[in-house]
Amino acid sequence: MTVLILTGEEDVTADMVVVHLNASSVPVVRLDPADLTAGVALSGEYVHGSFRGHLSAGGRLVSVNGLRSVWVRRPGAPAARAAQPSAWLTEEAGQALYGMLRGSGARWMNHPDAAQRARHKPWQLRLAQRSGLPVPATLITTFPQAAREFAERFPDLVVKPVSGAHPQEPPRAVPTSRVAPDTDFGAVAYGPTLLQRRVAKRADIRLTVVGETMLAARKETPADADPEEVDVRFASSATPWLPAEIPRRTAQAVRAYLREAQLSYGALDFAEDADGTWWFLECNQSGQFGFVEVETGQPIARTIAEWLAHPSAPEEESVNGRRTVAP
Amino acid sequence: MQPFALNYARPAVETEAVTPYVYDSGLQLNVLFDGRIAASDQALLRELGTTTSTAGSKTHFDD
Repeated sequence: MTVLILTGEEDVTADMVVVHLNASSVPVVRLDPADLTAGVALSGEYVHGSFRGHLSAGGRLVSVNGLRSVWVRRPGAPAARAAQPSAWLTEEAGQALYGMLRGSGARWMNHPDAAQRARHKPWQLRLAQRSGLPVPATLITTFPQAAREFAERFPDLVVKPVSGAHPQEPPRAVPTSRVAPDTDFGAVAYGPTLLQRRVAKRADIRLTVVGETMLAARKETPADADPEEVDVRFASSATPWLPAEIPRRTAQAVRAYLREAQLSYGALDFAEDADGTWWFLECNQSGQFGFVEVETGQPIARTIAEWLAHPSAPEEESVNGRRTVAP
Repeated sequence: MQPFALNYARPAVETEAVTPYVYDSGLQLNVLFDGRIAASDQALLRELGTTTSTAGSKTHFDD
């Protein structure tokens, strides 16, 4: 039984997992859906009540029914590098590839349907609330007046993108940024705006969850940190990520979150305040983990490899299989 | 008529610098020019920043 990894060639983080799978002699096929029809091929036959499908990449041929798991790591858009790419071809290739894989019975990390839903930050915030995780007061609005009133109630605010996507043409980054109390909120009318009460944090927390395994890392905020730097991704701090203990109640709430989200993998970001409370910021369903492993030495890649290599177990299917196997 | 959040945008830092490894389709791994597996060189990964949450921001969501 083979592990299928969908990601780009340049994804050296995926390499960290492939190394462990190789060491365990677990067969791996790695491909980027972007290479469909130009290096990656597929075929599926539905005849006499049965299905036989195959994928080919890099000289390897794998049966779709012979997949034990599918890791949707960082795949490109299907057929994006075809000889004559088009939106139509991408849709065709995506339907063919993911449609066949949905019928495979393999375990998913993460299933495309769950992944798609889990990317929505407003949905994340509500699920976090329902799961018992503390969520900073948040407003998502196109009403300038609502933004003004929110700023009166919560004068210390940050703004961040709703989607997490970065604008292109020209390429720009939109870090989580502090909003001055006297800011003109008129431009809120031109796009949904996410405003959130700033958590005066003493540390950033990155909690990586692989199946039932949780690994938390903590990056302390230096006492002399620039108060304008609120986004750890863009901060200049050299403070290292270190392994951290997970509060029991937080662990319970995170399990509830991931169970409801139908995710077998998630990388959750929290801001730890002066009282030690972990405030939920977001859950990245395909969150990067290499930088955490490199700094903390936590065995995240090995844990992912073990999850992917594990044969499907009946009790696990009752958690994942109900939703991950297409009817 | 720029959306509010874009008032806080900054030019993206191009992180797609030349990496000292290349994908080996036989191994299904990136390999350094001296033949070693790139993922095994953690000091290099740290230096390059190719495993961080903003790596690949141009094509994927930050995670």
